[in-house]
Amino acid sequence: MPMRTAIPVYHPDLYSASAIRDTYPHYAALRELGPVVWLSKHKVYALPRYAECKQVLLDDETFVSSDGVALNPVANRVGQGTTLFSDGDDHARRRSLLAHRLTPRALRTMKDTVDKQAAAVAEAAVARRTVDAVEVAMALPLSVVPDLVGWPRQGREHLLRWAGATFDAMGPLNRQAVRTLPASLGMLRYARAVVRDRSVLDGSMGHDLLRAADDGRIMPAECATMMIDYLAPSLDTTISAISSALHLFAAHPEQWCMLKADPDLVPKAVNEVVRYESPIRAFSRAAAHDTELAGVPLPKGSRVLVLYGSANRDPLEWDAPDTFDIRRDAARQLGFGQGTHGCAGQGLARLETSALLSALVERVDRIEVAGPPEWALNNVIHRLERLPLELIPA
Amino acid sequence: MKISVDYARCEGHGLCADQAPDAFSLDDDAELTYHFEGLEVPDEHQAAAGAAVNACPVAALRALS
Repeated sequence: MPMRTAIPVYHPDLYSASAIRDTYPHYAALRELGPVVWLSKHKVYALPRYAECKQVLLDDETFVSSDGVALNPVANRVGQGTTLFSDGDDHARRRSLLAHRLTPRALRTMKDTVDKQAAAVAEAAVARRTVDAVEVAMALPLSVVPDLVGWPRQGREHLLRWAGATFDAMGPLNRQAVRTLPASLGMLRYARAVVRDRSVLDGSMGHDLLRAADDGRIMPAECATMMIDYLAPSLDTTISAISSALHLFAAHPEQWCMLKADPDLVPKAVNEVVRYESPIRAFSRAAAHDTELAGVPLPKGSRVLVLYGSANRDPLEWDAPDTFDIRRDAARQLGFGQGTHGCAGQGLARLETSALLSALVERVDRIEVAGPPEWALNNVIHRLERLPLELIPA
Repeated sequence: MKISVDYARCEGHGLCADQAPDAFSLDDDAELTYHFEGLEVPDEHQAAAGAAVNACPVAALRALS
């Protein structure tokens, strides 16, 4: 008689408010249970360990994105037409239209500007001395990204709320997702109006998209979704990384000293921050055919949940995973995903985060926590909502 | 170990060059170049090249064997 593999089951809700605010104990429990764990609440196979997350991300023929990477059927339908929710040639075509603007080569021309903006942000923060780390973290992405994507100046005040809502909508259909659904649809409506009125900034990525539609390289209807595709993930995620970096360096003053002594460690520190506090909690994939993962049979259509934040704390992959250490080689962390769908904006995220850390390292002697941190409630984004800090000038 | 580079997919993130500076670098156009003949990685670069493959954000750099 063939053995039936018993798949461990996890009952707690990974998307409850308390689990969102304090996720790591859940991740540890999941990793302990096994490589593939059935989440009874969400009817999905969670992948809490590094090896299986990586295997799924690298095997995009078996584990596809075109049925959506969210955890609910509404978002998986609404998101059709985005780069994130596509596979194969469709994905390559959409990605190539915009990703070339985001490669480190293309970003070289922006480096000086971003460095200057980072210096201004750091100077203003040091002058205030007591700051909210999240406000400091917002300044640079909000001054860089909307211009790059080409969003018209009017309507920008909603961007952050809309972008956050877009991520919320990609979790399960819980209260959080339903509450923010109008805002995420607001962004889609606005993007469609921007495309219809051709009000994108000249020379921007959005402008590239309109031209691609004019030339028949993409469908006009794709323009709006693709603009959101590149705008939504480029704000909260980088804000998460920068504010988490400030939080971590405040909590680990010896690491800040190390960075001050050797600013060449900044790129490594960025990888370690994204490993330690991965800005995206999880996206899903669907099995395109019957398959097997870590010996667990997965029938066609099975949905697996790639838990980036858990993979990046997996003791099977990392020595002392819960220790923040900027000297660690964390380049293989999965916080930006990996493979075909690996974050197209990671060069920009690295540029912004490195620029701000470099600017602060020059000006700040130490960072002290001046009040309790508050974590934002979002189904997909893991970031601080508020963190009072005192920046002690150098 | 043999490697393959999918140039259509490589976006020049340069993590391979950080991991294995003696084996890989990006030229002025941010195109990946490698410092050995053919696709067979010389013994002295094996460990670093393995780490480079592991770190490639878009899996453009792969190990064939």
